Amino acid sequence: MPTESDNLLDDRLTGQAATAQAAAPLGADEFQVLLVEVLPSAFAYALRLTRNRADAEDLVQDAALRAFRASATFEAGTNFKAWIFRILTRCFWANHRRRQRRPNTIDFDDTPDLYLYARSAEHGLPWQGEDPARALIDRLGTERVSEAIAQLPEEYGVVCTLYFMEEFAYHEIADVLEVPVGTVRSRLHRGRKMLQKALWFLAEESGVVTELTQREGDA
Amino acid sequence: MTHLNRYTCEEAFRRLDDYLDRELSADEMTLVHEHLEICAGCAREFNFEASVLRGVREKLRQIELPDSLQARILAVLGKARQ
Repeated sequence: MPTESDNLLDDRLTGQAATAQAAAPLGADEFQVLLVEVLPSAFAYALRLTRNRADAEDLVQDAALRAFRASATFEAGTNFKAWIFRILTRCFWANHRRRQRRPNTIDFDDTPDLYLYARSAEHGLPWQGEDPARALIDRLGTERVSEAIAQLPEEYGVVCTLYFMEEFAYHEIADVLEVPVGTVRSRLHRGRKMLQKALWFLAEESGVVTELTQREGDA
Repeated sequence: MTHLNRYTCEEAFRRLDDYLDRELSADEMTLVHEHLEICAGCAREFNFEASVLRGVREKLRQIELPDSLQARILAVLGKARQ
């Protein structure tokens, strides 16, 4: 059964200040407890931004220290995780965005809706007894799915990362990136289409499409 | 709700992403849901899209925190507190 302190931690992390204590200023010990809770997600997010483990570690450390120094500015009752992610994003833009980004190899202009659905159907990928999208993504694997995200233009890749990795709602992503909700919505909708094109490109390039097509032919 | 205010395929499709993300109003969620119950074509497309989202999400979440990072950060914070 969750204790009172578990409930308080949940309230702080999600910004649901259901208890009187959750609205109290953030002490140094409590800051540390909350920070440890969000470190795995923060590192994963930082890794997506920097695409390099050493840089991601430095970025998280930098953001943690800045957040600690600014902990008096944390608004009680708001979402701690979104607050940390906002600081981390600012640190990335300000200090860690040094590397030349890899040029995109995919032309994302005018990517149609339902791109993967249409291409899968066109190539006769399996539809009977198996979830076709699942089959494709499982065979692509974590590395290639990460690579597909990395192919997206930066503003779309960042929104997609927050959306897919953290399941942040649109308003939370807007809060982290300090942009209007409408911007998040349009970037996410477009980013998702681009991502499908990138996934298909990688599936073709890596032979996953051929593998699945042959399997269907053998069945 | 009568059939007069049911969504067409186009109206449902326009709300695909927001429906999957639960960013629609309760009424709109119901209208899209009702459309999917009577339209196998749209239901197939929506299910495919939902499966893509689930699959990508699961793959991207397989990143672990490096063992030493937490200790390193706590040490830095410890110094900052002094």
